[in-house]
Amino acid sequence: MSASALEARPPAIPAAIIDRLRAVVGDRNCIVEPSQLRTYESDGLTSFHAMPGIVVLPASTEEVVEIVKITGELGLPIVPRGAGTGLSGGAMPVPGCVVVGMSRMRGILEIDLENGWMRVQPGVINLDVSKRLGPDGYYYAPDPSSQSVCTIGGNVSENSGGAHCLKYGFTVNHVLGARMVLSDGTVVDLGGPVADTPGYDLLGVLVGSEGTLGIVTEVVLRILRKPEATRTFLATFPSTREAGNAVSAIISGGIVPAAIEMMDRLAIAAAKAATGVDWPDVGAVILMDVDGPLAEVEHTSAQAIEMARSAGAIEIRRPKDEDERAMLWKGRKSAFAAVGRISPNYVVQDGVIPRSAIAEVLGDIESLAKESGLRIANVFHAGDGNLHPLVLYDVKIPGQEKLAEDVAGEILRICLRFGGSITGEHGVGADKAPYMAEMFTDDDLETMSRIRCAFDPDARFNPGKVFPTPRLCGDRPGIYRPHPTELSGQADRG
Amino acid sequence: MSTDSIAGVTPKAIFAPDTIADAASRIAESEKAGEAVAFIGGGTDLEIGSPPERLDLCIRTEKLNRIVEHAPSDQIVAAEAGMTLARLQEVVGAHGQRLAIDPPLPARATIGGIVAANAFGPLRTRYGSIRDLIIGISIVRADGVIAHGGGKVVKNVAGFDLPKLMVGSFGTLGMIATATFRLHPLPESSQTLLMRNRNAAAVRNLIAELRTSQLEAAAVVAIAEGTGFDIIVRFEGFHAGVIAQRDRLSSFGGCDVLDADDTTRLWQRHDAVRAGGPLRLKIAALPNAIETVSNSVAVALLAGLTSGGFVWYPTFGVGFITGAPIDDARSAGAIESARNLLASAGGSLTIEAAPPGIRQRVSTWGESRGTLALMQATKQRFDPGRRLAPGRFVGGI
Repeated sequence: MSASALEARPPAIPAAIIDRLRAVVGDRNCIVEPSQLRTYESDGLTSFHAMPGIVVLPASTEEVVEIVKITGELGLPIVPRGAGTGLSGGAMPVPGCVVVGMSRMRGILEIDLENGWMRVQPGVINLDVSKRLGPDGYYYAPDPSSQSVCTIGGNVSENSGGAHCLKYGFTVNHVLGARMVLSDGTVVDLGGPVADTPGYDLLGVLVGSEGTLGIVTEVVLRILRKPEATRTFLATFPSTREAGNAVSAIISGGIVPAAIEMMDRLAIAAAKAATGVDWPDVGAVILMDVDGPLAEVEHTSAQAIEMARSAGAIEIRRPKDEDERAMLWKGRKSAFAAVGRISPNYVVQDGVIPRSAIAEVLGDIESLAKESGLRIANVFHAGDGNLHPLVLYDVKIPGQEKLAEDVAGEILRICLRFGGSITGEHGVGADKAPYMAEMFTDDDLETMSRIRCAFDPDARFNPGKVFPTPRLCGDRPGIYRPHPTELSGQADRG
Repeated sequence: MSTDSIAGVTPKAIFAPDTIADAASRIAESEKAGEAVAFIGGGTDLEIGSPPERLDLCIRTEKLNRIVEHAPSDQIVAAEAGMTLARLQEVVGAHGQRLAIDPPLPARATIGGIVAANAFGPLRTRYGSIRDLIIGISIVRADGVIAHGGGKVVKNVAGFDLPKLMVGSFGTLGMIATATFRLHPLPESSQTLLMRNRNAAAVRNLIAELRTSQLEAAAVVAIAEGTGFDIIVRFEGFHAGVIAQRDRLSSFGGCDVLDADDTTRLWQRHDAVRAGGPLRLKIAALPNAIETVSNSVAVALLAGLTSGGFVWYPTFGVGFITGAPIDDARSAGAIESARNLLASAGGSLTIEAAPPGIRQRVSTWGESRGTLALMQATKQRFDPGRRLAPGRFVGGI
């Protein structure tokens, strides 16, 4: 987003529309003051920002329907928003748009332990779901690192993962149903607590659609009984090569860890500085959980430790109690933020590679770091090849921010060269839309856009996200049509 | 019944392409000619759906039977649609892996057909259905264009989830050309236990008990062919864990640990009931509704069948009732009542196979609640000429 775009005045939303929105959600839940709107101008990817025309905070599905209908009279673009923790600019407003924030819709509506599901509003915080279920011995499996602040609605939009999705799957595997409001104000229920609703798996398409198909107002989640036992260990290695070999050996050995995470030297240094974990200065660590029935996890954890040793582990640490275990995981989960301790600025990247290519890809990333002169810390979900390289830079040094973004982009190209993906869990959003054309053909993208056209033919919901170029849904599919904000010079990618 | 007919409708022509490119050009031609087209894999689920309104061409995928890529160390496999599940399992099994899905008739069922029909077996208890295992797809669209979605890495959120859209779409949105799946390690050990002649409440209680005890079964199935349920529980994994879980479940009392032969026979019995006919109904309800499902749905339906059987997957609330109708009109009435009862509690009943006398009397899919317009819009975008198995799917799609 260029500086001039930031200063540009978004198209004003007519006073009559604002008044009607106020009547729906109440004055205090209708934000139009520029100083207050600024809170909503970006998500976790703060380098992408744009001013919304208005932010409305509905409290119910009915209110969302009214908002969609009223703003639909002028065809205003709508950007749904959870907690704004996303890292791909998915919740970044379109200049002058209507942001529909879900912060008031955070109710837990229904819990059915026996049948393994619960119904929640989209604004509920991910961790609050498991906290609510914990006393009964149940939990909600997807655990993105931001789980203490991110919302279920945001998770549904991005198909969020987390450390434990290696064994348990992603949000899409744990969402049984969703109520959503379409662009004409129609309310539909996709899926539900009962399995196998006859028809297309539109729910499977909705999850991960990044807010481009409609506004989700209720979600039915699968809930799981806690496993009988969990065994955690931290293994230290001279370098990422030995650590990578350990991961490969463990997985080839038929073990499906609940989580297996890797951090390199720089990421370890950051975690130590930020959280006070007493990890040694080594080239790499692996943090691993196995869970399940007690006898099974005793066996698999012993085997995995043996394999880690054979692969060259220097030291194995096993937490003595739940507090120690929580500390180990804190070191990992706070890794992104921790990097702020060792660098004034950084870009968080999210790419995926085939697990077996880890050593080679890390070598390529290291070369990239040397060539560019920037430091790159690596934190990743090693079990499924999901890399989170953190490219460190100093915004005060002219040209370094741009260089860091270019290096981060080059990392995605490395992932693609190895047959991977440009995003494993952060989503495409605004940030990676330009890279979609490097991962998919025009035909692939045009085919995906047909789904968008079926749900939202006027592309009102979160326009400009996911797809590299806006597409027309009429009789001439695929013909490029510049987005209105591009024409007016308010939006450009920079 | 011809092996090329779909829900009883026989096509005017059959084509078995050697390559995906051949399939794509034939489909492109069919668009120009305005032909109605359907796709056939192993032909194990051709009875599912309403009879297509017209059918000019069936494309058989039997020659599209190659492995595209198997990366054992990445635990993924990509194969062409016409490869049978049994063959795929053989290839990946040589590396100690499996695709964790076990629908009936694996020697005939193809991976394209399994995706298109959302077919599953007892392992769904632990591993979910094919939607939870598929990570990538390539399709031939109604206009002959080849398109891809997903990828070949397990974790990937780039773009819309085309693979999931194709799951259970019965060839109405395009031809599945290849599919890519996540694999799991073959278990070191497996143990099957049997509890005989229990009532529906006992089925429900057992699931609660397993959960309370934090036992993690790979498969749980309840089969009723007479009055009571035989409940089958299978544990899989590393030997130590399997033995410990077996012993704990045994300690609940009243259950037999089966030897290898009995285990094989028991699972064959399950497969036979699942694949029974000529009437086959799929029902879905909340798992704890088993008493209602059993007493009010299954009993009424089974009373009108000879060789009737009921298979219920009590952890996820889906079941099948199969058998030979004594009187079509009577069975049609029982289906209608059962469907209404299930639907009133958020469930469903679909006819997967039925004699014409039943199909004429009662709809195949039942009412679709609220989402039909969205499904129709999706169909319209993917198949604007309405040529792909027209009328076979939900709501006449």
